[in-house]
Amino acid sequence: MIRSELRKKIALQGGAVIIVGAVFVFFWNDLRKTAVVHIQTSSTSRISGILPSLISDLNLILPISLLAVLSGVVCAFYLEEWCPATSWIRGFIGSQVNFLTEIPSLLYGLLAIMVLFSDPGVLKEIGALSPAQNVNESGVEVALFERNTLVFYAETLIFILMAMPIAIKTTQEALRSVATPIRESTYVLGATQWQVLTKQVVPLAFPKILAGGCRSMSRALAAAALLIGIHIPSHTPGPRGIPDRFVLFLGGALLLSTISSFLTVESGTHK
Amino acid sequence: MVSAVRNRTYRRRIDGIMNYSIETENLNLWYGDFQALIDVSVRIRDGQITSLIGPSGCGKSTLLRCFNRVNERYGNVTTKGKIEILGKNIYDTDVSLPELRKAVGMVFQRPNPLPISVYENILFGLRIHSPIRSMTRTESDQIVEEALTSVFLWEDLKDKLKVRATSLQLEQQQKLCIARLLPLKPKIILMDEPCSALDAKGTLAVEELMEALAGTYTFLIVTHNMAQARRVSTECIYMFLGELIEHRETQALFETPQHPKTADYVQMRYG
Repeated sequence: MIRSELRKKIALQGGAVIIVGAVFVFFWNDLRKTAVVHIQTSSTSRISGILPSLISDLNLILPISLLAVLSGVVCAFYLEEWCPATSWIRGFIGSQVNFLTEIPSLLYGLLAIMVLFSDPGVLKEIGALSPAQNVNESGVEVALFERNTLVFYAETLIFILMAMPIAIKTTQEALRSVATPIRESTYVLGATQWQVLTKQVVPLAFPKILAGGCRSMSRALAAAALLIGIHIPSHTPGPRGIPDRFVLFLGGALLLSTISSFLTVESGTHK
Repeated sequence: MVSAVRNRTYRRRIDGIMNYSIETENLNLWYGDFQALIDVSVRIRDGQITSLIGPSGCGKSTLLRCFNRVNERYGNVTTKGKIEILGKNIYDTDVSLPELRKAVGMVFQRPNPLPISVYENILFGLRIHSPIRSMTRTESDQIVEEALTSVFLWEDLKDKLKVRATSLQLEQQQKLCIARLLPLKPKIILMDEPCSALDAKGTLAVEELMEALAGTYTFLIVTHNMAQARRVSTECIYMFLGELIEHRETQALFETPQHPKTADYVQMRYG
C-alpha cells in the first residue's frame, strides 16, 4: 500500500466515523433514556427514545442488505463478466433494471399496500388485525397497521424489489469504471478471468460497489420515511408522532448517503 | 502450453531445425461478417525483430493479437487456419491460455502499467503463475532488480520502487511494461505500436532497448512509422486489406519492393 494513499484513506474513514460519533453524541440523552432507563420500548413519546425507530431501521436494512444488495451484486457480476454481449438476458435485465430504477420510490410502498392488503378482510382472516384495531369508536372499519409485523415485512419485501435494481446498476457501473487497459494488461500476463477479477477489478471497484449498496439502502429508507404519511412501516411500538420517525428514517438515509459519497470519493483516488 | 511443448521446442532447437518462432498457415479471421484476415501464411524467425507495416485497418493488430489469442476475448470472432507458436498449434485443445500468454508477452500502444507500485508491477505476472508466498523477499528483490536492469530503468527507479507505476513518465511506463514481461521468461514479445504515445527521445530509448533484447527474445512489432520499421527490424511484413502482400528482409522490402502495392506504400504514394 502506498503511504500517502493510506493516509488519505484513514482521513476519509476517520471523517465518516466522526460523523457517526457526532450523531450518537447528539442523541445520547435519548439513547440512554431508551436503552438504559426504559429498556422496554414505549409508545409514549415523552419517555421513549430513538431505540424503537433504530430497530425499525435495522429491520429494514438487514434484509435489504442481505437479499437485495448481495443478489444485486452477484447479478451485476454475472452480467458484466460472464454473460455474452449478444445474450438476450443482458438486454432483458438491463431494460428492466432501467425501468425499475426510474419508478418513484413512493409508488413501491403504495403498490405493496394495494396489492397485498387491499382487502382488510384478508388481514382479519389471518389474524393480523385484532377487532379492536379494526373498528374505531364510531364503528367504521379502519386498518391500523402500526403494530402489524406482517405488513412491515411485506413492505420490506417491496423495498427489496426496489433496492435490487439500484444495486445492480451501481455495481455494473463500478465494474465498467475499471479501465479496459488494466484488464487487458492483466490478461496478457496470463491471468485467468478469476485472477483478473480478484486481483485487479474487484479491489479497484470495491469502494464504488459498497457506495452503490449504501445508495440502494438509503433509497429504501427514504421511501420508508415517505410512507409514514400513509402508514408507519415499523413493528415495534415507538413514538406515535410522524415527525419523530420521519426524522429517524431520513436520518438513516442521510447517513448512508454520506458514507456512499465518501466511498465514491475514495474510489476516485484509484484512477 | 504444456511442458511437452517445451521439450519438443528444445529438441527441435538442438536438432537445428527450429528457425521459426511463429508459423501460420491459411489464417482467416472474421469479426462477425467482416473478414479481417485473408489466407495469411507467415513465418517469423526466431530471435529477430520483425515489423508489420501497412495502412490502418489492414489487419496488422488483428494478426498480432491472434498470436496470444487475446482476440477471442472480444466475442463474435471466428478464426480458421493454423497458428504454430514454438512448434505447437495454439488452437489445440491441450493448450492452456495462461501458459500461452506467459510464453508470448504483449506490449500495447499506450503504456498500461497496473495502478500499483513499480515493484508489484514487475512481480505481478510471476505472482499469478506461482503459489502464494512461494518467493522470499530476497528472491523477489533480485527479480525486480534484474528486470529493471535489463530495460535500463534500475538506475532511475531504484529509489522509487514503492511509487505508483501510473505516476511515472510515459517512456518509463512503457519500459516498465516490457520489464514486467521478463520475469515470466517469454520467448516472444508482441508490440502493438509501442512508441506511438512516446516522444522522439522515448521512442529512441525503446528502440535501443528492443535491439539490446533481440536475440534473447523474438520481437514482432506493429508500426505506422516506416522509419522505425527500417531502423529496428531485420524482416518486414507488408499487409493490405487483410492480406499479406510481401514479407522480406527490411532493406530489400524498402529498396526493391516486388509488389506494386508495397512500392506504393513504402514510397509513400499511398497511406
